[in-house]
Amino acid sequence: MPIARFSPFELLLLKSRKQADTAGLMLLAWVLASNGQFTEADRLRLDEVAATFSHGHALEPIFEIASGQALEAVQLAAEIMQKDCCGEQAYPFLRLAIQMAIADGKPTTANHHILRFLADLLGVSPPEFARLFNDVAGKTFENPDDPSRTGYWQAKEHHRHQQEQARQEQQRQQERHSRERHSRQEQSRQEQSRREQAHSGGSGGHRQEQRHHSSHQSPPGDRARRALIVLGLEPGASRSDIRKAYRRLAQTHHPDRFFAQGEAMTASASARFQRIKNAYEYLMQVS
Amino acid sequence: MRDLYKRLGISPQASDNEIGRAIEACSHTALKADASAVLGVKSRREEYDALHATLRDIGLLRARLGLTHGRYWQDSVANDFSLPPDNTCSNHDELIGRVTHAVRLHNRWQRWHGPWLLAGLLGLGIAIGMALCHWLL
Repeated sequence: MPIARFSPFELLLLKSRKQADTAGLMLLAWVLASNGQFTEADRLRLDEVAATFSHGHALEPIFEIASGQALEAVQLAAEIMQKDCCGEQAYPFLRLAIQMAIADGKPTTANHHILRFLADLLGVSPPEFARLFNDVAGKTFENPDDPSRTGYWQAKEHHRHQQEQARQEQQRQQERHSRERHSRQEQSRQEQSRREQAHSGGSGGHRQEQRHHSSHQSPPGDRARRALIVLGLEPGASRSDIRKAYRRLAQTHHPDRFFAQGEAMTASASARFQRIKNAYEYLMQVS
Repeated sequence: MRDLYKRLGISPQASDNEIGRAIEACSHTALKADASAVLGVKSRREEYDALHATLRDIGLLRARLGLTHGRYWQDSVANDFSLPPDNTCSNHDELIGRVTHAVRLHNRWQRWHGPWLLAGLLGLGIAIGMALCHWLL
């Protein structure tokens, strides 16, 4: 009876000095590859981790298998891990998996599900795993987002929109600063020349200064628009919209919420809160 | 996460037209709204599909490894992506079986002095052939 051909991962396991390490590396590569494609940075990360493993073979085949999304290989690796390291023995491996998942900041939704699968596979209970995650990432292990709901996409696009707006606002502010600096220089120069004129007996300078001043005051609509941006609203929002947005933002940015996270966080939250409050009060006055 | 394809009764490879028809025919208002918001926009569908494929893989792995009742496998994900346990043999057992089989064949070959046997058979064949030629011609 002919024997079925051995797959690349099976050959790798047969060559391995320690099968559990090879299987662990395969699962870590799976965590990295689930983000989309396997980048150069991912390779370096895995290389770094592999230095502490005693698998005794090249990593290149693992990269290839992980890029090919071979489910059979992942299953075999999972079986070996399930057999060889369970419970507390799995903690070092799970720490590495969490590190891989948070390498680019927040774990993606796919990573969330894979981490949950690994925790179940290795018999680590949710409270223990949440504690491990907190240790490694410094954040709580939240529930994954649900892209099958409209709310997820709305929140995501709203977030992107806000980021865009914040960037534009920053740009505008920079421009305004440079303009103001420019105009201040201009003003001081004019004042100097006026003083020289007054010195020589001219009296029309005062009127000119008044006119000059009023032309540089920002139009009243500008402040309202900025206040609306602070509250994340479009121009033409009603009073009730403004009130609702204010309450929502005041709740999320209230300094008391950040008390546990240290003084710096509380201070920045109170600055944000103050800005939101000023914007709201101004809008309530004018509308 | 829910499996919108499964709930609409279509395959994940369905074309936009098929999806449109399935959404049209759906009588569940909330599902209809969500499905058209997610599957109706190309970029959103691509992202959803990538996650859908990962979750399907995890569902299959959980079914094969006996983890369909894991503590982290719950809610709509577990409802929609769990598969009935299949009776395929564990990949590791299969690997061990194949390695054992290969080792047995190799040992048998060595025991019977395979290379000498092969050379002997070849020599015998040539001798018989020559004898036949001699006798026939």
